[in-house]
Amino acid sequence: MKFLVNPGNFNKFADYVFLPVLISSIILFSIGLIFAFYLSPDDYQQGSTVRIMYVHVPSAWLALLTYAIMTLYSIAGLAFRIPFGFIINTAVAPIGAVFTLICIISGSLWGKPMWGTWWVWDARLTSVAILFIIYLIIIFMNLSFENRIVREKVVAIFVLVGSINLPIVKFSVDWWNTLHQPATISKLSKPSIDPSMMIPLIIMTFAFIMVGLVIAILRIKTEIISRKSNLI
Amino acid sequence: MIILNKMISFYYREYKLNLSGFQDILTNIIFFFVSIFIFIFSIGPDKETISSIGIGIVWTLLLLSSTLSLRKFYQDDFENGNLLIMHLNGFSFGFITILKTFSHFIFVQLPFLLSIPIASILLNIANDKVIYLFSSFIIGSFILSCLGSISSSMNLMNQRNFLLGSVIVMIFSVPIIIFSVGIVNIEENFNSLISILFGVLLIVFAINPWASGLCLKLALENN
Repeated sequence: MKFLVNPGNFNKFADYVFLPVLISSIILFSIGLIFAFYLSPDDYQQGSTVRIMYVHVPSAWLALLTYAIMTLYSIAGLAFRIPFGFIINTAVAPIGAVFTLICIISGSLWGKPMWGTWWVWDARLTSVAILFIIYLIIIFMNLSFENRIVREKVVAIFVLVGSINLPIVKFSVDWWNTLHQPATISKLSKPSIDPSMMIPLIIMTFAFIMVGLVIAILRIKTEIISRKSNLI
Repeated sequence: MIILNKMISFYYREYKLNLSGFQDILTNIIFFFVSIFIFIFSIGPDKETISSIGIGIVWTLLLLSSTLSLRKFYQDDFENGNLLIMHLNGFSFGFITILKTFSHFIFVQLPFLLSIPIASILLNIANDKVIYLFSSFIIGSFILSCLGSISSSMNLMNQRNFLLGSVIVMIFSVPIIIFSVGIVNIEENFNSLISILFGVLLIVFAINPWASGLCLKLALENN
């Protein structure tokens, strides 16, 4: 498991794993889209708009997962002095921002026909918007410091302080009365969703994970190369 | 005993500095009132509308005008080397941030306390609500001081984009705004909401010396 903390081992592992991940992302995405558009049933209330779920839910999960990964690597970088954590922080932040943006846009496209508005000031929606702004601040901080050592540590501290928002995003639907529905799949009891919708959702989730991994591998390798040649 | 003497001399120095730069604090307060005028001109002088949204306006403008003076939080002491001298005198970085946070609370945020009654007259807020506004402001402004300490210490080495510091304070002050405006508008919930606000204060006060002390140390090491 050394490729999780060591840049050299990560490079070797990434060369080995990149092509399978790329191919499986293409295959999973095409299968998932076929399932989502043709093979999954309409909802009895929402009709065909329920198909937005197959983009909305995986991107929301991945936005949270990306931030959680950044938090873990910030702890690793600050407490255990593993510089690979800072590389991950710099490389992965724009991916999380894009997933959050996809989640917000698809959510508002889903909200217009179902709720009647593009946007409500609901706890879940507001906290996801704050998550998006936190991602943007991380990206801007990465761009605006000149000293690299100060920059990466300050960004890691900011990621740790901003991780307060993660449990708020996750539990906002349980703590407050929101228009957004509570969790149907990621809860302790049995998921209250039909298998005919669950299967395409899981396929799409894995497709999103694979796409995220492809971009992350490319960005992390670029970051390692630019650090080796002291470009930043 | 020695550390107490040092603390007293620290606050005496802060007092002298803030007294000589009193026009800066006054400028903050003038900014606050001018923004209230602009708000009223843009909404229209209807009494009902103003008194229904008055609390929100007061809190928003307090937040905005407290972020104006963030640049001076650590920057002056950092540039003329006073932070390093304080550290060499036996204060740890975390302790320096606690002292500076209290000094910012006393000398920058508390003068706004005097301007709240005038603002409540201008915005037609009922008298019994002003007490709730006071109590929420005392706790909330201390949270704002802690957040200001974190963000301004993060941006000490940031030469290009200081506005980021204000954005950091504003994005983390969302819960403060929610709960402190809620205190005034929902009066029967006073105890529960002020407990939540106090809990937020304790969390931020615990994070503050750790985060901003580490940032100060980084900035001094790499300057």
